[in-house]
Amino acid sequence: MKPLRVFLLILCTSALAFAGDNDFRGVVRAIEGHYGVHHMHVPLLGVAMFFARPSGVSGMKLAIFEDFDANADPDDVRRIVENSLGDGWHPFVRVRSRNDGNATAETTLIYANPSDGKMRMMIVNVEPSEATVVELKVDEHSIKRWLSEPGEEAEDHSSHHHTDN
Amino acid sequence: MKKTKAIRSSKLKYYGAILALLVASSIAARTQDAKIPPDVEKLSAKAKETVEVTMDGPMLHWASKFLSADDPEEAKCAKLVANLKGIYVRSFEFDKDGAYSTADVEALRSQFRSPTWSRVVGVRSDHDGDNVDIFFKLENEKMAGIVIIAAEARELTYVNIVGPLEVDQLADLGGEFGIPKLSRRSLSKAEKGDHK
Repeated sequence: MKPLRVFLLILCTSALAFAGDNDFRGVVRAIEGHYGVHHMHVPLLGVAMFFARPSGVSGMKLAIFEDFDANADPDDVRRIVENSLGDGWHPFVRVRSRNDGNATAETTLIYANPSDGKMRMMIVNVEPSEATVVELKVDEHSIKRWLSEPGEEAEDHSSHHHTDN
Repeated sequence: MKKTKAIRSSKLKYYGAILALLVASSIAARTQDAKIPPDVEKLSAKAKETVEVTMDGPMLHWASKFLSADDPEEAKCAKLVANLKGIYVRSFEFDKDGAYSTADVEALRSQFRSPTWSRVVGVRSDHDGDNVDIFFKLENEKMAGIVIIAAEARELTYVNIVGPLEVDQLADLGGEFGIPKLSRRSLSKAEKGDHK
């Protein structure tokens, strides 16, 4: 009986892992499909992210799109992302910055999926030639920071991914 | 024949005026009920940076459970948040003084000059003393929402808190969810009747 139980447990945990992955994959595929781009394959990305992740963050997934559509309308990106996210996701923070020429220079969209004591976040950052999708889980301490200063945290996170890339 | 035409024309004008009035009042009502009025969104085009924070029902409900964990300040905040329907914040940063005009802010304020809203004047933020306008929405003589417009030379913050909240409780929410910190003293002054 024991091998059967172990098998069922593995099946359940892998199903859960896929369920968690679905939203991230959905967003990445939706962007790829709409803009005709592919995210970069970064060797040893998982290992790098384990060491480079910000404190209080776990389960980080990252997709980077280089040579992204420079004319991408941030509102279009928002629609695409929102259509591909599953249930339980809520718009949380959006940061838009403009350059001197008054065109949108950078847009960061953050969606939150809260559950008991934890929060999953989907962060989509779009710049004229690059886009990044990050999914992460934040711990109790980080949630407090996010709830108290959502705007500042969003800016910190978008600049963190920017410098990392 | 001419008389009939004149009567028809005046009737049309009369109905036209009523229709226009109905449309205008429905637009005005929708503007006041909108989470973020269009005049706020327009400021985004002038801003160097716009930060939007949305905390709607399920998020607030979750945050209220989460905040109630430890210290008494958070517990107080959690109690307040649990009854709210939404918190919507728009924060604009401008690259130079005068990037937005007084008329822009005035247009914003004017949307809350109606019988359902009361304006509190003379409230100042804790850190730099710039002007903050606070409007309270009353429904059946109970607080049903609060709008804060904090204007600085290069920054403008618009906050819409939907749900029941007392004046003095606003200080407990300041500093959370992107809401600017407000002095408890100035709020209690406002509560005593410094309304305009």
